[in-house]
Amino acid sequence: MRNTWIFYRKEMLEMLRGYKLLWIPVVFMILGIMQPISAYYMPEILKMSGDVPPGLLESYTLPGAAEVMAKSLGQYGVIGLLVLALSAMNSFAGEREGGTAELVLARPLTPLAAASAKWLAQLTLLVLSLGLGAAGAGYYITLLIGPLPWSAAVSASALYGLWLMCAVSLTLLFSACLRAPAAAFLSLAAAGGLALLHTLLPRPLRWSPAALPKLSAEALLRQEYTSYAWVFPVLSGIALIVLCFLGASLLFDRNKLPRF
Amino acid sequence: MPPLLQVSGLYKVFHGQSSVDGISFDMEQGRCVALLGPNGAGKTTTLRMLAGLMNPSRGRILFEGNPIGDNYRRQIGYLPQAPAFYNWMTGEEYILLASRLSGMGGKAAAGHAAAVLERMGLQDAARRRIGGYSGGMKQRLGLAQALVHSPRLLLLDEPVSALDPIGRREMMELLRDIGKETSVIFSTHVLHDAEEVCDDIIMMNKGRIAEHGTLTSLRAKYNRPVIILRVEEAEEARLWLETLQTRSFILESRLEADGSLLLKVDDIASARSVILREAAERAIPLLRFEAGTLSLEDVFMEAVGG
Repeated sequence: MRNTWIFYRKEMLEMLRGYKLLWIPVVFMILGIMQPISAYYMPEILKMSGDVPPGLLESYTLPGAAEVMAKSLGQYGVIGLLVLALSAMNSFAGEREGGTAELVLARPLTPLAAASAKWLAQLTLLVLSLGLGAAGAGYYITLLIGPLPWSAAVSASALYGLWLMCAVSLTLLFSACLRAPAAAFLSLAAAGGLALLHTLLPRPLRWSPAALPKLSAEALLRQEYTSYAWVFPVLSGIALIVLCFLGASLLFDRNKLPRF
Repeated sequence: MPPLLQVSGLYKVFHGQSSVDGISFDMEQGRCVALLGPNGAGKTTTLRMLAGLMNPSRGRILFEGNPIGDNYRRQIGYLPQAPAFYNWMTGEEYILLASRLSGMGGKAAAGHAAAVLERMGLQDAARRRIGGYSGGMKQRLGLAQALVHSPRLLLLDEPVSALDPIGRREMMELLRDIGKETSVIFSTHVLHDAEEVCDDIIMMNKGRIAEHGTLTSLRAKYNRPVIILRVEEAEEARLWLETLQTRSFILESRLEADGSLLLKVDDIASARSVILREAAERAIPLLRFEAGTLSLEDVFMEAVGG
């Protein structure tokens, strides 16, 4: 426990000195804020571009606050995921290939403690980025569009965050046994494949973590939200994360030294 | 009381090829052991297994009679061949991280870190980023992190091989000091370094122990009298050298690269008188005649069968 905490502080310091703790939240905020701003100024933007067929501008209605919030969160599904995977891909692989793992793991730091610290650091980064991004989006939505159901927004963000954490955990798993680029590619492919499968077979896969983004949007769009559809995706998402975490610490134990 | 370290029947197989092929040795507290061998002898693999970074394919390692575990890691200091640090940290931060990971409390860690950095001559660079350190400074930082938690056993992998002559000199002096305080195993392919600081020598070749003993016992064991001869370029001299090689008192002869002949003999007194008499009778133009014993370098070559 003690070593997990010491190593966690080292991970956070590394993120701070590498400016990850700055630029990733900034990217998330920009992504989140862009949606309400572009929705609000859409008529203006269209007018500026000229050649707007008559009648189009009159028929434009500002989307509802909840809908814009859902779209804001949806932005994180592609670029947000990419940014997080690229930032996590070096987590284990960099330490192993660079040789820094050899030195710290010769100490009483167990691979499990190191993996816990790394996982917690990624979780901190995700919560910070998503929290700031969603808060920024929510602020502009209430400012420009209208009142936002805050509790629904929070649970929608949490559901989306769980999906993102699944992808980050996959990246960590692959990073523990492969080189960084391969880890990023495979985890993105796995997350993308899971999402695609869910789109193709929504009913048989409604329990899978890939259903989380859709559930997140539904949490915002349907005000009285009574169905318990979220139980299984949340549980399976947590199970996926736990499996990835345990797998990562096991693989890191076996791959402490640079591969040759 | 069991010895500090007992290694028995250690094997490591990579992709069907054995890198360490069944080595066993015991090490007493307070000794300094040199692991000597050419490149590819299995020294690094052995040290990595001793540091608990690699699991042996077979065999076991006992530290004071106990299998190695977390408690063991607290008591060892390890310096790999090319230590890599977090370049974004300062030297001081790294040493603090290292000592705290080894279980030291905040105050003790700070005190030890300052002391060990000063001892390694890094006190002025302590607050600079490691990324800007020179190779020699990184090696000294590596030694500092291996020493900061006062380990009972130090494992050093080629600590001087990558250094320039000055850095090497400094490092050897530090090692000699450290060898007086704690038990050290260090690997090297330079025989001279081993002779300089160590009590015991383990010669490794192709994953096996070729020879193991104290420096003096190895010298005594291989204390074979040798005669080194060198003559001027002349036909009769060359022929005489060739006939010499077949005499009964000569065990082995070897023509060196510089043209001198090295003869291992069984009885130095009679060999010397025969050679000198013949040389005088035939008016051989001798350039050099030297009677002595085998150097450790020759012992090494003999032991590894080079």
